[in-house]
Amino acid sequence: MFALLKRDLYLALYSSSSFFYTSSFFVLVLIILPFLFGTNDVQLQVLFKGIIWIGLSLSILLTMERIFNADYEDGNLDIIIQRNPSLETIIISKYITHWIVYCLPLFIILPILSFLFYVSLDSFFLIFLNLFFGSLGMVFIVTFVSALTLGAKRTIFLKAVIVIPLFVPFLIFGTNLESWPILLALSMMSFVLSMYVSAYGLRLYVE
Amino acid sequence: MNELKIEDLTCYRGDNLVLKDLNTKLKSGETLVIRGSNGSGKTTLLRVLSNFIKSYNGKILFNDHNVLEDANYRNCFNFVGQKNSLKDNLSVKNNLKLWEIIYQKNIYYSKLLEDFHMSHLVERDVGSLSDGQKKCISLLRLNFTESKIWYLDEPFVFLDEENSQILIQKIKNFNTNNGIVIITSNINLQNTFTNEIKI
Amino acid sequence: MNLRLTNKQINIIEKANPFLIVSTVVAFTFGLYFSLLQSPPDYIQGDSMRIMYIHVPSAWFALLAYTILAGSSVLWFITRNPIFSIIARSIAQIGMIFTLISLVTGSIWGKPTWGVWWVWDARLTSMLLLFFLYLAYIFLWQSITNKDLASKISAALAIVGFVNIPIIKFSVDWWNTLHQPATISKLSSPSIDISMMVPLFIMTLATFLFLITVFFIRLRIEILDNKILRIREVK
Repeated sequence: MFALLKRDLYLALYSSSSFFYTSSFFVLVLIILPFLFGTNDVQLQVLFKGIIWIGLSLSILLTMERIFNADYEDGNLDIIIQRNPSLETIIISKYITHWIVYCLPLFIILPILSFLFYVSLDSFFLIFLNLFFGSLGMVFIVTFVSALTLGAKRTIFLKAVIVIPLFVPFLIFGTNLESWPILLALSMMSFVLSMYVSAYGLRLYVE
Repeated sequence: MNELKIEDLTCYRGDNLVLKDLNTKLKSGETLVIRGSNGSGKTTLLRVLSNFIKSYNGKILFNDHNVLEDANYRNCFNFVGQKNSLKDNLSVKNNLKLWEIIYQKNIYYSKLLEDFHMSHLVERDVGSLSDGQKKCISLLRLNFTESKIWYLDEPFVFLDEENSQILIQKIKNFNTNNGIVIITSNINLQNTFTNEIKI
Repeated sequence: MNLRLTNKQINIIEKANPFLIVSTVVAFTFGLYFSLLQSPPDYIQGDSMRIMYIHVPSAWFALLAYTILAGSSVLWFITRNPIFSIIARSIAQIGMIFTLISLVTGSIWGKPTWGVWWVWDARLTSMLLLFFLYLAYIFLWQSITNKDLASKISAALAIVGFVNIPIIKFSVDWWNTLHQPATISKLSSPSIDISMMVPLFIMTLATFLFLITVFFIRLRIEILDNKILRIREVK
């Protein structure tokens, strides 16, 4: 388990998916806001709550090819599966890696971003909680979609069509400040679903 | 002494019958070459043998244990498929490091690379190498575990004369150390390995 | 392992076809007569409300089709009989078309009622998402070249989508109450007069027969496709 996790993290590090790239992405998505909608602070506060979820969704969605596709296409998945008989271990390692590489940077720069968009301290904590539980569930979802679409052509748009309707509940509850328990529940449900479906997809494609 | 036995192996892919009633037996130190035209099921056979494909009729026995039930079997073999298992955007060194982590073994890769006279390429990106060089690097995986069986899927494709000889030498050394090797091949290897079946 | 469709199954499908077409035409004739001529106009909405006789049945059957899609995918998992995979595939396209019909008619109905073509009403929004669930299923099926694998993978997606429908429905409803406290619920008329019930019932029956007819035609196409694929493989 830890060897696999270490390998996935090193792979991300070598592929220069470093903290700076991901966090610059979040910053850039958000600084579009004042350019588009002006600098009215009340309006920015409202928009911030929404756009931050778009940033998170894009960061998770656009990079989902790295979860299984890359390893599947170059054959590394074969080695990984041969060395680790339990597919569940492989899947959990992918969850952790994807979350660390493509979501964690957001949480690290979130204080600065909220400062830039005049978010009050109370709502900052709630936004943080929402994003945290929501991002977990969203990572579970992209992982199983990635496992299901390993052999599909035209993949990134196909994946977006599959993933975005599944993201909708997270986005709806994510923009409401008090609903982190619902997001937690949604994430737990997607975890169970994702474990089964990802294992099923992997098993089919390595055959 | 190790022994690999294939008994009445029949395998369907979808509705297509790919392998039919295959029987063969291999002992330590033997090499088997599987010949067949494209699409005849050579790769399927190797994937069945390496436990990737689990739905088939018949039995595969390693030292009289059914490989589907033998939890230790996965440590006994090494599979090098047609995919190179290399990341094009990473350097040779980083690729080897990733393998080290997966195989949980420290390797002196500069020495390994020297086998194929490639130690000068260690810092190069894999994407900039030729197909033959990539193949050689992917074959280095054979040295990452102490396995008893090698499954090599078309290992000689892209290899030049010199590297082919090096690989043949490697296989023969492995044979003398009691290793079993199964190779699939399009080309005739009968001058080198006499044991051959056609599927 | 080697499961194929039996000739009996194919025969039933082929023989039912003319009968179904005739009964669909008859049912629609009656249904349209009752809904357009025989029933009174709504006392608030007038004649524009008559689009309900198309809108409501197609929305119901869009949902029913997804249930069939998920159900046959589950049955496929249990039995591995290819007929279920073919049923799932055939019903998916029909379900998508019904969803589209209910969206378009809902939007047309909305223009005279709400004065705009589209309202972010909970039902319409859920239907829109259902449309994309269908689309995802069909895209996934098409984009995997190995059709044997494709049916396995898309069956899993159908079930995932089905599990998600109540979640999406719940969250969209919740979202709707949040953003539009005064919900415009003209689409869910609380009580329908008996004079409107009769045409609605006949139109529902007619739409159902239409669904079955198109479904059987699609089944035949899929089966013939399968045969062509096999003949090519043998060659």
